[in-house]
Amino acid sequence: MARVQLTINGTAKTIDADPEMPLLWVLRDLLGMTGTKYGCGAGLCGSCTILEGDSPVRACQVPLSAAAGNSYTTIEGLSKDGLHPIQKAWLEEQVSQCGYCQPGMILEVRALLKSKPSPTNAEIDGALADHVCRCGSYPRIRKAARLAARLGGGR
Amino acid sequence: MTSRRQFVKLMAASGGAFVLGIRFSFADDRPSALAPSAWLRMEPDGSILIKVGKCEIGQGVRTSLPMILAEELDADFDDVRIETASPGPDFRSLGTGGSGSIMRTWAPLRQAGAAARTMLVAAAAQRWGVLPESCSTKASRVNHAASNRSLAYRELLADAAKQPVPAEPKLKKPSEFTLIGTPRARFDGPDIVTGKAVYGYDVRLPGMLYAVVARPPVLGSKAAAFDATETMKIPGVKKVVETRRGIAVVANGTWAAIRGRDALKVTWSESPHASFSSDGEVAELETLSESPGVTIRKKGAGRRAIEGSAKTLNATYHYPWAAHAAIEPVNSTAVVKDDSCEIWSPTQTPNGVQALAVQLLELPESAVKVNVILAGGGFGRRLGVDYDLEALEVAREMKGTPVHLVWTREDDMRHGFFQAPSVHRLAAGIDGAGKVVAWEHREVSIPHNARRPAPALDDLKDPAKAIGNAWGVYDTPYGWQSEEMSYTGVHSPTLIGPWRSVFSPSSVFARECFVDEVAAVLRRDEIDLRLEMLGVNDPEMPRSFEIDGDLVERDRMVRVIELVRQKARWGTWHAKGRAWGFAASYFHTGTYVAHAVNVSLKAKPRAGELPFTVHRVIAGVDCGIVVNPDGVAQQVESGILWGLSSMKNRITFQKGSVVEGSYDDFPVAMIEETPPVIETHIVRWNAERPNGVGEPVIDTVPPAVANAISKLAGKRVRRLPVTAADLT
Ligand code: FES
Ligand code: FES
Repeated sequence: MARVQLTINGTAKTIDADPEMPLLWVLRDLLGMTGTKYGCGAGLCGSCTILEGDSPVRACQVPLSAAAGNSYTTIEGLSKDGLHPIQKAWLEEQVSQCGYCQPGMILEVRALLKSKPSPTNAEIDGALADHVCRCGSYPRIRKAARLAARLGGGR
Repeated sequence: MTSRRQFVKLMAASGGAFVLGIRFSFADDRPSALAPSAWLRMEPDGSILIKVGKCEIGQGVRTSLPMILAEELDADFDDVRIETASPGPDFRSLGTGGSGSIMRTWAPLRQAGAAARTMLVAAAAQRWGVLPESCSTKASRVNHAASNRSLAYRELLADAAKQPVPAEPKLKKPSEFTLIGTPRARFDGPDIVTGKAVYGYDVRLPGMLYAVVARPPVLGSKAAAFDATETMKIPGVKKVVETRRGIAVVANGTWAAIRGRDALKVTWSESPHASFSSDGEVAELETLSESPGVTIRKKGAGRRAIEGSAKTLNATYHYPWAAHAAIEPVNSTAVVKDDSCEIWSPTQTPNGVQALAVQLLELPESAVKVNVILAGGGFGRRLGVDYDLEALEVAREMKGTPVHLVWTREDDMRHGFFQAPSVHRLAAGIDGAGKVVAWEHREVSIPHNARRPAPALDDLKDPAKAIGNAWGVYDTPYGWQSEEMSYTGVHSPTLIGPWRSVFSPSSVFARECFVDEVAAVLRRDEIDLRLEMLGVNDPEMPRSFEIDGDLVERDRMVRVIELVRQKARWGTWHAKGRAWGFAASYFHTGTYVAHAVNVSLKAKPRAGELPFTVHRVIAGVDCGIVVNPDGVAQQVESGILWGLSSMKNRITFQKGSVVEGSYDDFPVAMIEETPPVIETHIVRWNAERPNGVGEPVIDTVPPAVANAISKLAGKRVRRLPVTAADLT
């Protein structure tokens, strides 16, 4: 067991748990924040993507011990009212089918727009290259990412 | 009376995050609400609660089904709230599959909406002292134009509730629809993009424990003995429970359960299938395809006409095992008490889950509550109740404690059931004038054996039973002077069950590729040949025919083909290094689809990547009446990616075990492989009823692409998945 301090969506948290426990399960099982999804547990699908500072990380690949002192943003913390420009764009383009992969997609796009407020199509594809959407919502994800950039999703 | 806000607070206080997706409850004792059927409850605050009687697996039923009722009710759609139905006396067929959700609830939902509307109009007419026929309805109001009076539905509920519920209310004509046929946003959209949507994996209950199961790696093996000493040392592990299928580790979190399972030492029994391999099984299917199976459709001299033809052609096609690989692995949560049980399952078969619990726990149906939870994809996998069974078995051992039983990605990839592999052997006979006069299509496959005992092979010798396994073979809309279709079923230790579009994808792949092979040999345009085989210039060929209860309408297929040909500007433009490919099909519930695709080969495909690029897809769909056109467009897009995925992955077996385990060795289509241009064209005509769309739209994608890449590679693609080696 280890005692680890970290910040989630601006709130300081102290976690007592197995230092090897991936952040994914810390969020989902210990903190009850289930917006971060499990899809593979192996860094292959991107469903568990969250932001470490401004960088996208796969929560299933970050052991609790490596999270100490860091600050994370999950889908629950992207906006207070659910109306972040990226969220608006996602609704405008009606991206979601089952929707399970979308929190990870949205946070990956958030990281992209933060570093490149007006990405090219290839940069959008590149950022999302390792994200699985088994329902096949990619055509709309592309559109929504472009719209999100126009709406100022990088700010 | 509980107000809406109090109710939300109440449910939140009672603890479960699982209630987030379900905002309302139907309490029975509230006055002045109108609930003329189990589908509908109209509240005095103006909200209109509609029950969703199918499971949401990403296909949009939580939006499209309420639209049907709201249409006949003339409700303002903004007033509509939804609640997922649970199995019980009012809801006996919540099962979701076969692309049938809209088709099968169309009539009862319209009936329910129209009945309530009739009662509201009668109440208003009585209050005003006018004839009901002189009133009209719109946007949740009854209007009387002659006297310029109007009442909101919510003002009429108490009076309307006193009216008799009409048994056969007047329904609208499709031409009168104002909501059906308009694009509508998903109800769940806002919850999804904020992370609030609750899927099965997200169910959290007070005191809940988590479980994973160690299952035999080899087909047909069982746990002979196990040693949990090390498992019990893992902090958080609470208990180890034997189930029918394996050994469950129960812990206070997912991570501890997984680590506990890793530490478990299980001795698996010897299995007769320890040397089973998919290659061996495919060789057997191939051998069997050398002889015709049970005849399921025949005309003229059948296959014998081929031998006597001026020219004959034949080819054999292969289709692999495939996993569903829904992004949310299967899971189920259950709490078993002495006299009751409650289950939260992201299922496609809520009544099946209830029946399972009733049988296993020997409880009356009324004591088993099934909550249908959002599913992260379904594709037929969630028609199985194997994971619910595991949850119930463990929960029974943990009386009173909710047990959240989850499968990891590897569990999901290896221990579910699969799309059936098959071999298709096709032959055509061509006369001296270059006309295709005879056709044979033999299918050999493994019938479904996962949800019910495998059918006896003798049973499958009965054409009436065999036919249902050969969608896309027996019901091909094409016709010839002589034709013979046959099916052979094979027993297998591998588990086979429903998968998106079930029996169609392999048959349509083989058939539509073979049509192109014939066209190439005849130097005919492949669309022209298809139209000829649909008898467009043949007065002898009937315009429709019935087979196994299905009505196949050739002119609907012709119309879809013509539409796609025109929209693709077929034959009029070509880009260097690219080729067009085409395929068309009829799905057995009455939906017609065609795809034209523009494709190039990749010079140096990376490992795990499709060896070609699809630049443009033109899709045409005739699914009868369209309820939510944006939902249809979404399914068409989804079908393209699903079809492309089936060109890059497969499941294989070695030494009795599944080889693949995750998205690295069972890769699905990714964003960089997504065609940049997708056009969806829906055939608009005076259809009388809606048909399904989620499955039919996948079948023609692989053959259309295969037809294009075969031209580019100069050799025929006859096998899925397609590798770079197949194209050089
Ligand atoms: S769950 Fe982390 S990448 Fe798939
Ligand atoms: S929307 Fe279902 S996996 Fe992406």
